[in-house]
Amino acid sequence: MYIAQDQVIDIARMGAGIGAGIVAVGAGIGIGKIGAAANEGIARQPEAAKDISGGSLILAALIEGVALFAVVVTLLILIL
Amino acid sequence: MTLLRPILMLLVVAGACGLTWKFAEHHPATNDQAFMALYMHLMPAKLVAGQAGDHAESDAGEGSEARSHGEPGEGEHAGGAHEGAPPLVALPLPGVFGFFDGDPRHDGAQLVMTNLQLFQIAAVLLVFIAFSGVPSYLRSGRGDALTRTLAGFCVAIRDEMVYAKMGKDLGARFLPLFLSIFWFVLFMNLLGLVPGAATATASPYVTAALALVTLLTMLGCGMSVQGPLAYWKNLVPHVPAWLWPLMFLVEVIGVLVKPFALLIRLFANMTGGHMVVLSFMGLIFFFAGNDFSALKSLSIAPVAVGFAVFIMIIEGFVAVLQAYIFTQLSILFVNMSIHPGH
Repeated sequence: MYIAQDQVIDIARMGAGIGAGIVAVGAGIGIGKIGAAANEGIARQPEAAKDISGGSLILAALIEGVALFAVVVTLLILIL
Repeated sequence: MTLLRPILMLLVVAGACGLTWKFAEHHPATNDQAFMALYMHLMPAKLVAGQAGDHAESDAGEGSEARSHGEPGEGEHAGGAHEGAPPLVALPLPGVFGFFDGDPRHDGAQLVMTNLQLFQIAAVLLVFIAFSGVPSYLRSGRGDALTRTLAGFCVAIRDEMVYAKMGKDLGARFLPLFLSIFWFVLFMNLLGLVPGAATATASPYVTAALALVTLLTMLGCGMSVQGPLAYWKNLVPHVPAWLWPLMFLVEVIGVLVKPFALLIRLFANMTGGHMVVLSFMGLIFFFAGNDFSALKSLSIAPVAVGFAVFIMIIEGFVAVLQAYIFTQLSILFVNMSIHPGH
């Protein structure tokens, strides 16, 4: 399959788009699992609801941070 | 008296927006480059003297600007437009800081004031105005609603975030730092949602400065409490001797990467939210097309504005959450550097 020279940059940019999409999948799965575990923990022990919610909020933000690392890399692909 | 502080705060916000509108460089744009022109609002705009509303250099200036915006020149903003406008405030720097030079026309590196600095100053003024009644409230128990709310939040930060991790005596020494970080980041994030305002934390340099504060606190306090060499030795948990070099390398990189992650997290959250809103707004211009068709753009406008409002609601929540996360992780990192725990 012959790819013309001026198409290579566009295909590289498409890679950036696909990468951003896969990042969203990863973040969604991770935060979904945290939410599921948090809800199950609160259901088993309602008096720990505050601790569980506080901890899961921080963990969700950490996962979001990793996802945004990848988004920044994608933006760098597009710009640089 | 109870309304004085909110009115002063609104005046500060309005003043910052007005100064930005008056002094920030204005780039006129065409409809086919609508997205790029909108995204340029996320880049810091230099403050130039005597330019807004002054279209005396209009024909020559805008002709060359339309051509220079025609090419996909992302990231290259104030270099080509408005060649004749000098920066409003420029501070000369030693040549070592050549990377931060904002005004290539003068010799040497010049630190040029951008609209981000305006909003950082506005955030600091807002913090001072909002908290001006809190000391007397803490002493006498009398204060208006704003003072009591802010004092309540500060007590929550103190008890549940700082003292819970660091203990009372150590926490009391670090509490001013973490309170300052939290309220400064919160006000900067929230200012970004005001129409016409720029988000200071949407710039990697501003968040890098904040993350640098955390990093220097980690290193400085860790090394002064534990001793300079003991700090680096205590980074690594108890591992077999053959594993120690690798773990040491991993932990040293971890010390640098953790504040870097703080930087990226705050910067990307703020910029990403704005970029989504700007993309929805850009859809309106994109649908209008080159013939400026009002019918097409009006038909997409309710959907685009609706989504943009929804995203801005989420952005408000993200602004508060990211300030909380930044502070919480800073507390965690500083605590881990002072009490390694293993």
